[in-house]
Amino acid sequence: MEKRGKGSRGSDRPDLSVAAEIKEKRDAFLQTFFKRGAQLTEELVGENRRLGDQISALEEENAALKTQLASDKAIRDLLRKIDELERDKSRLLSSMHDQAEITTRFTEVESELESFANLYVASYQLHSSLRPRTVMRNLKELLMQLVGVRSLGVYFVEDAERRLVPIASEGVDLALLPPIPLSDYTTDDVTATVVERTYLTGVPHVAEGETLASPAACIPLQLEDRAIGAIVVYTLLGHKKRFVTVDRELFKLLGAHAGGALVAAYLWGKDDAGLPSAEALRQICA
Amino acid sequence: MSPQYSCLVVEDSPMMRQLLVLALSRLKSLRVTEADDGVDGLRKLATGKFDIILTDINMPIMDGLKLVKRVRTDPVHKDVPIIVITTEGSTEDRTRALQLGANAYITKPIQAPQVIAKVKELLKIDA
Repeated sequence: MEKRGKGSRGSDRPDLSVAAEIKEKRDAFLQTFFKRGAQLTEELVGENRRLGDQISALEEENAALKTQLASDKAIRDLLRKIDELERDKSRLLSSMHDQAEITTRFTEVESELESFANLYVASYQLHSSLRPRTVMRNLKELLMQLVGVRSLGVYFVEDAERRLVPIASEGVDLALLPPIPLSDYTTDDVTATVVERTYLTGVPHVAEGETLASPAACIPLQLEDRAIGAIVVYTLLGHKKRFVTVDRELFKLLGAHAGGALVAAYLWGKDDAGLPSAEALRQICA
Repeated sequence: MSPQYSCLVVEDSPMMRQLLVLALSRLKSLRVTEADDGVDGLRKLATGKFDIILTDINMPIMDGLKLVKRVRTDPVHKDVPIIVITTEGSTEDRTRALQLGANAYITKPIQAPQVIAKVKELLKIDA
């Protein structure tokens, strides 16, 4: 203080110089200080911007992750749904397959039932009478009503003459049906050839596919192990285009039973045969 | 299941009758009564109540056409469904039967599923 006072009092020159120096230093310091402050501020602002950018980036990333997470969940849900649908589809396909099988089986059972019903009725009706005329009427009716026959003839063998003789007909005049000789000669008459062959071989002739040609069918009449005649089906009703399985089964039954039913009815009616005695039957059957 | 419906089958041929009865017996809800011809059919109708009638056309004594006509004037059975059974060529009979009031026809040779389907349709039986 004293020194300063002295100096101030002694000469202003050094004081001025010192002040200027101090001022210079102060200015330099302030300049440095502010520059540094500005630099720091800039750095802070930059850092702040950088952090802001980083936050934005992180927020974006976070949002993207959230979206992906949601999307993954949606995909998982969809996959689960697809699985469920696949299972439902398999179940439905399996069920449809079962349904188709049931329908097929049902149709088969229907067909079998119809076949059984027809065979039952045929068998019942063939043996329901011991009058030859009724047996023959039933035989014709079975063929017309169950098969759909329009015209037919029934031939019976004449062993002595070696020929088949027409004994009944429907839809065709009996008088117009010629006897069929059982010879080894060939003939141009297709029907006669088919009937003779059927009688001799015992193998039925039943047209396959559409029944356009006549005869449509020829069935040997069997009595035990021999043929005694034949049923000839000439034509079928217009809407009956072909034979079906039920018809073939019926032909088999008629071939096996109709001859026996006719002969039994004839023998029963002959000379009022009447019932045999129990004793006679016992002796025969024992 | 006890029968809910009563059916009258009018047919002169025992074979056809048996076949029809066999087919119809598969419908457990149906009780079947048989008649030999039109007159016998009328007799059965006079003594019972029927929900459906199946009748042949060609029958002795009284044919199916006359029976249809009579049924349609019978106060008890005038609304009962009637199915006529015809042969292939009898288009005129079929037309006449429908004109007289028959509801449907079946052509011979008859097939059980066809008969059953027609009866179920007319009686509105589901199963």
